[in-house]
Amino acid sequence: MKRISPLILITIFLASCQSLPVINAPAPPADGKISACPSPFLKERYRLIHAIETRMAGDTRGAIIGVTLADPATRLISCAIMTAEGMVLFEAGEDAGLLKVNRALPPFDSADFAQNMINDIKLIFFAPAGKIEQKGNLLGGVAVCRWREENGGWIDVLSNQPKGIEIKRYSSCGSLKRHVKFEKTDENIYQNIELHANELYSYSLFMKLIEAQPAKEELLINKAKEKKK
Amino acid sequence: MRIRNNLYNFVFILVGILWVSCPSNYSFADNFDQLRKNATNIKTIKARFVQKKSMKILIRPLISEGLFYYAAPDSFRWEYLKPLRSVVIAYKGDTKRYIASGGKMIEDKTGGVQAMKIVLNEIASWMSGKFDQNPSFTATLKEGAYTEITLTPVEKNMVGMIEKIIISLSKKEKAVKSVKIIESANAFTQIDFSDVQINKIISDKTFQDVE
Repeated sequence: MKRISPLILITIFLASCQSLPVINAPAPPADGKISACPSPFLKERYRLIHAIETRMAGDTRGAIIGVTLADPATRLISCAIMTAEGMVLFEAGEDAGLLKVNRALPPFDSADFAQNMINDIKLIFFAPAGKIEQKGNLLGGVAVCRWREENGGWIDVLSNQPKGIEIKRYSSCGSLKRHVKFEKTDENIYQNIELHANELYSYSLFMKLIEAQPAKEELLINKAKEKKK
Repeated sequence: MRIRNNLYNFVFILVGILWVSCPSNYSFADNFDQLRKNATNIKTIKARFVQKKSMKILIRPLISEGLFYYAAPDSFRWEYLKPLRSVVIAYKGDTKRYIASGGKMIEDKTGGVQAMKIVLNEIASWMSGKFDQNPSFTATLKEGAYTEITLTPVEKNMVGMIEKIIISLSKKEKAVKSVKIIESANAFTQIDFSDVQINKIISDKTFQDVE
């Protein structure tokens, strides 16, 4: 039995690995211009407030309000989760790769939750940190750019017209871990976002924008603080 | 389960605060005994509310709006209309929370019913106007331009959730003016009430039908 167990684990591991979708070289553009990668990412420091519906196994589990303060230049993130009644369930931030949890009520107090949440936020709002490995079209003609992450994983950013832009994160062995969809709209690109996570306990988030505003004032405050120092 | 407890504590405290504050519509309450006596006259309450949530991450408060209904002895509806629609209704000992999903209101089934029963026992003391006798809080009453009731949690398990609650009652209009729930130095929830109606008929459906 002891000899079989590692074999079973290896089999499961290999079975969970898949090959990444094939990217074909793009057809030469008629106008001669090289198309840019789709970029649903923040260009400046922003504060976003979303109503978030959480689903597990297809069932709606709850509705919360999520607040995100994100700066793409420094990759600084602050975030909070609260109920409609105003009770703050979770508050955390990441600065220079350092995670700090200020408040975490159960079930948001698990060791992995904070880091996973920060990673999900970065996936949605920040351009991938790695370098572009491939650029082209998927089978069916969807334009895509593929990034290689430092941890060996992959991020595809797709311009799936007319639906909208999508992001897919794959593990290093090619299994799909996250799928983000930005609904195409004339309004803010963050108006309606879906995130589907494939984990041991898979979940989906359906985010509807309540408020979005540039957070320039805090940059000024921080600069003033730096000057004082 | 703990989060469910915390959430229901939070909601019921909000409900309880408004309820015990409304007796000022009848006669000005200059002590807690008077508040308790006045509480026996209340049959129904209806009010609008605007909730302003302030915390460090928000540069300006997050504003929510909703409606509150109460019918003696134990029915209430605490309804947020925006930005995130949710409803807590209690009717004849049965309490449910609903959230908006896909254009419909669906029951929030996270957590357990047991937690609600525990909290209902807690809220019973608020509903009967005995808010200075709740062992979970110490209550003080201060007279000034407004009557101010300050509730401070006794137990340490509320640390980080509620530091204190300040209820302001308007003398002139004889109605509850606002409630401020202070969670920490950087976070508080201010609820301003308006259009408070006492003892107007409220249909039972309000406490049974979520739509």
